[in-house]
Amino acid sequence: MAAALLLVSSILFSCLAASCHGVTLSSLQKTLIVFVTASPSPGQVLKAGEDSITLTWSFNNSFPARTDSAYKTVQVKLCFAPISQQDRAWRKTEDNLVKDKTCQYKIVAKPYSPSNNTFSWTVQRDVPTGTYFVRAYAYNSADEEVAYGQTTDAHKTNNLFQVKAISGRHVSLDIASICFSSFSIVSLFGFFFLEKRRAKHSQEN
Amino acid sequence: MLPFEVGEILTSPILHYSKKILAPKMTDIEGSPGSSMHGVTGREPVLAFSVASPIVPTDTTAKFDLPVDSEHKAKKFKLFSFANPHMRTFHLSWISFFTCFVSTFAAAPLVPIIRDNLNLTKGDIGNAGVASVSGSIFSRLAMGAVCDMLGPRYGCAFVIMLTAPTVFCMSFVSDASGFIAVRFMIGFSLATFVSCQYWMSTMFNTKIIGLVNGTAAGWGNMGGGATQLLMPLLYEIIRRAGATPFTAWRIAFFIPGWLHVVMGILVLNLGQDLPDGNLGALQKKGDVAKDKFNKILWYAITNYRTWIFVLLYGYSMGVELSTDNVIAEYFYDRFDLKLHTAGVIAATFGMANLLARPFGGFASDYSARKFGMRGRLWTLWILQTLGGVFCILLGRANSLPFAVTNMIIFSIGAQAACGATFGIIPFVSRRSLGIISGLTGAGGNFGSGLTQLIFFTSSKFSTATGLTYMGFMICACTLPVTLVHFPQWGSMFLPPTKDVVKGSEEHYYAAEWNDDEKSKGMHQNSLKFAENSKSERGRRVASAPTPPNTTPNYV
Repeated sequence: MAAALLLVSSILFSCLAASCHGVTLSSLQKTLIVFVTASPSPGQVLKAGEDSITLTWSFNNSFPARTDSAYKTVQVKLCFAPISQQDRAWRKTEDNLVKDKTCQYKIVAKPYSPSNNTFSWTVQRDVPTGTYFVRAYAYNSADEEVAYGQTTDAHKTNNLFQVKAISGRHVSLDIASICFSSFSIVSLFGFFFLEKRRAKHSQEN
Repeated sequence: MLPFEVGEILTSPILHYSKKILAPKMTDIEGSPGSSMHGVTGREPVLAFSVASPIVPTDTTAKFDLPVDSEHKAKKFKLFSFANPHMRTFHLSWISFFTCFVSTFAAAPLVPIIRDNLNLTKGDIGNAGVASVSGSIFSRLAMGAVCDMLGPRYGCAFVIMLTAPTVFCMSFVSDASGFIAVRFMIGFSLATFVSCQYWMSTMFNTKIIGLVNGTAAGWGNMGGGATQLLMPLLYEIIRRAGATPFTAWRIAFFIPGWLHVVMGILVLNLGQDLPDGNLGALQKKGDVAKDKFNKILWYAITNYRTWIFVLLYGYSMGVELSTDNVIAEYFYDRFDLKLHTAGVIAATFGMANLLARPFGGFASDYSARKFGMRGRLWTLWILQTLGGVFCILLGRANSLPFAVTNMIIFSIGAQAACGATFGIIPFVSRRSLGIISGLTGAGGNFGSGLTQLIFFTSSKFSTATGLTYMGFMICACTLPVTLVHFPQWGSMFLPPTKDVVKGSEEHYYAAEWNDDEKSKGMHQNSLKFAENSKSERGRRVASAPTPPNTTPNYV
């Protein structure tokens, strides 16, 4: 049994090694279980820069025991849900992981351990407004993806959460903007009327 | 106030009409109304840097840094001088236009950041691009009138300083509609193109105005390229200084805004409308026979060639503007480049204007020497189609080196085609040159808006496919140039008409005047132009005496 499994996994590995174009998601086994608990409460829209989420991930024990022998590191990423990918080709999902743009924000990278993994992450200030899920990739020692797990189902429809981005606006910027704009308009009209007055003056003299 | 001013968009003719009122009597051909034309014979240097004295007499009483003619317009173009008033005007003028191009296209290389901040869809980004080029269609129309009323100095200063607040407004934008609105308003600043050309024609003799205007226009257009370098660099610096990405791009917009204000102040303080002073001092009425606006408009719009060139320019200049808007984002997404790397590549597209556009004009003139008008038409077709083909290849390129190479050849083709177009425009009509030039220019902006709307706003196909389709459209929309036929010179495939009367240049240009006007002698300048335009016969030109005439006027 173990020999057969080793054979299967070694074939899998060699296939992965042979594909220079990169690993495809469909070739990975979904052996990790990832949970996210949003804080303060589930269903609430998270504010970038303020709210945080707590993640836990572990190896799914329903898979055979030695499946995770090659896993060395785990990277947890924030990924776009389909609704946030609509009309936005720069977030498109591709099976080839080198070209895939679904998961653009790295949450954390940690060495692999089958259980007891938690991480609390404050949503970064450069995360855009949208609907997200979390995915964790397991990497082998050659830094190739070998397995993954995600908080949502295969169709990415449940367990999604929303983030509201920072606006990027600041009161100080607004004030500076108004100041420079007024300066521009005032100096233009000031100059114009001054010159008109000077012309009239010199005509009268 | 002259009745046709409002419609005149190419300002050299406007000013020449004003000059007729104001200036002392001068020889027939120089500075005469609408004489900004292209009547080169084979014997004259095409891109003249200076005019020798016997051809245009120097006014020796005037104390300027450069030799000047009787109107005190410079006869020499000394590029690295800042002397008042001529060269200083040149530099103030082209840098103002350059600044407006920088701010109009400043958003383009930062779109990857802005689209995340404002949650934009592809449609929003495309619409913003359309908006950025549409505003100037109208502002350029108004600018002609403003230059006539207030002079080019105030025309330039008004536009550049009134659009400065719109650039600063980027700090307030929080959604797609705000973004589109602000880009639309910033786009108004491209009206400085008109003030730039107008101002050059008050300062430089008609013989060298072609080169001066072409250089100013080309260098101004470079702003679209420079901004792709500048904005990502500023963004990077501001971000490293500690700002978050969604704030850093807003701060970056302050720099183009400051440039607007600085240039406006410099223009007001250092510039002057005319070599001898400012316009206010020279407002007098004359008794020259004024042409009627509705007549000029009629002859412009009923000439089918006008519309062919409007279409063609939409697919040379229009395509250039569209590409300025999409190319940085394209390289960023397709090839996974860093923001400033994508900016550098995108910049090479716009910066090619430094040489490509003058090259197009030169190629047009060179082919005219041998093959006349037929040579010009073929040159235009070849350059523009070449641009189209390489645009198709750009969209299909899957590797970065190929994509960059195709983009560079595409840029040279499109920009040279812009230059070549204005090698032909002056011959389409003599009476309505101003309006036709203006319509053509507007066609460029309109083509840009239309192209972005069709190919770069929909999510149905990728940007790469959009570029390929745009390339096909360029090739298709360049074909109508085969239909441009001059009875006196023929077309790309057909020879000139055998009819002796209809096959003369005089007949073509005099046909724009009715008998009543001819009896008043209003068509005299058209006849003179017709005589000079015989050079467009190519090698068939017999050794006709060379009357002094003007050099290419590139717009």
